[in-house]
Amino acid sequence: MIKLLKIELKKIRTYKIFWILAGLYFIFLVLGILMAEFMINNMVDNMNKHLPIPAPHMNIYFFPEVWQNMAFFATIRYVLIFPAIIIMILITNEFTFKTIRQNVVNGLSKSEFILSKLYIILLISVITTVFFALSTFIIGIAHTSEVTWGMIFDKISFVIGFFITILTFQIYAFFFGFMCRNTGLAIALFTLYTFIIEPILYYFLKSPLVFKNGISTYLPVNAVFRVTEYPTIPVLKKMMGLNLQESISWGGCALPLLYSAIMIGIVFWTLKKRDL
Amino acid sequence: METVLSINQISKQYGKIQAVNELSLEVTKGQIFGILGPNGSGKTTTLSIILDLIKADQGSYEWFGETPDKESRKRIGSVIESPNFYPYLNPTVNLQLVADIKDFGYDDIDRVLQLTGLDERKKSKFRTFSFGMKQRLAIASALLGKPEVLILDEPTNGLDPQGIAHIRELILEVAHQGTTIIMASHLLDEVQKICNHVAVLHKGKKLFDGKVSEVLAISDSFELGSADPESLASAVKLHPAYQSHKSNADTIQVFFKEKVKPGELNAFLFERGVILSHLSERKRTLEQHFLELLQNNQ
Repeated sequence: MIKLLKIELKKIRTYKIFWILAGLYFIFLVLGILMAEFMINNMVDNMNKHLPIPAPHMNIYFFPEVWQNMAFFATIRYVLIFPAIIIMILITNEFTFKTIRQNVVNGLSKSEFILSKLYIILLISVITTVFFALSTFIIGIAHTSEVTWGMIFDKISFVIGFFITILTFQIYAFFFGFMCRNTGLAIALFTLYTFIIEPILYYFLKSPLVFKNGISTYLPVNAVFRVTEYPTIPVLKKMMGLNLQESISWGGCALPLLYSAIMIGIVFWTLKKRDL
Repeated sequence: METVLSINQISKQYGKIQAVNELSLEVTKGQIFGILGPNGSGKTTTLSIILDLIKADQGSYEWFGETPDKESRKRIGSVIESPNFYPYLNPTVNLQLVADIKDFGYDDIDRVLQLTGLDERKKSKFRTFSFGMKQRLAIASALLGKPEVLILDEPTNGLDPQGIAHIRELILEVAHQGTTIIMASHLLDEVQKICNHVAVLHKGKKLFDGKVSEVLAISDSFELGSADPESLASAVKLHPAYQSHKSNADTIQVFFKEKVKPGELNAFLFERGVILSHLSERKRTLEQHFLELLQNNQ
């Protein structure tokens, strides 16, 4: 594992496109975290125009809710697409440059090649999660007046939720990268699927044409985003009578992990079968 | 002799095209083995199969007498088709990656860069290289860590005449140190200059293999005429390099095992009382010879 990671890191160490995209990702991640409260309160202001009694402005940066609020805002599609694009570029590059052939000829097995990409995904996920956990912790400390250990740990499971979201979304991208083998095609198909195809499918499955309400939530990308759902904002929740997520559901985590496992299996199987 | 590579009846089909057809080969240690054939004869496909890039439809192969795996590939240095490296990395880092995969240290990198004349460009990115330089980096990467076997697919492709001479010299030098070399080429002349064993492929089938000196023996011939053809024929048979002759209408065509100068031949026959009325040297180009080899086997 160390050997494969070392090789992968050497490939990206001086790769400009990687660092530009990684930089953009972190900028958007931080912006997402810092803008979240403003975005919520903007929503509240809009709502107040139609309400007889105006709802108060929200503070979403307090413990324990901050874990869930941040986990939601840091994993919206527009932010999560960055690491996905990075992964697709790193994988399809190997086919474009034909370096996958050279790697295998030099003595890397096809399985090791696939594993090396999974390790880099794991590394990116761990680093991002640590960054997420630390910054959320600091924000929480700064905005909560009387902090107790109980408050801090109450919703800390959302850190795991964040990790699973970012990990599985990158594995989906890994799947598109290995299947398409072409950078442009992989990014185009993945983005189209995430932003257009699956949302249409989602509403189609929810529509009276299908009648089965539950199915739509099992779609792969939807399953990823359901790991960390809409933030609980107690007042809003009470007002609107919504049934919002209180904690990470392990069934909800298992579903995208299951999709990922199937995709990894397909990648191993096809690479073994297909010529390079 | 120790067998390095044995290929047993491998076949590969692409749609309707039979790229490799029941091919068997045996390469023993220390050989410089040429795989000769025109474009599309299955050379690269064969090399890709034995390097695990392509799966054969049928047949098997063994490296070093064992079932091949990634460990056997670490003992082989190879140049396959185009040079494939990370364009945004310099040759040193590109070679470090090769060394990492093969579990080697980095101490051999400077040597191979020097050998291939790339040491001055070791800080430039690969994408700034000319094709010839890219090809030389591919050869440098194949030489890294002094592998037991070197596989070269058209190694002088895209090089200038000076580069070609340099690479050929390098290959011979490496072979001299005991490395087994397997080289694919469509250039008869190249195989003849470098290799000592050869297999000739055509449409995925092996036509024949053996020692280069036997398979690709080039015998020049002479067309001779005399007033007395019978004594001419019997006199020429006495020549130490005589191989065979063919009688035509008023001349005979004589083949020799080795190079014979026309003047010497004339003097030799004159000494035996034969006066020539006609003497012309028939040189066959290598390409002609190769085409003849192909024709004879169809």
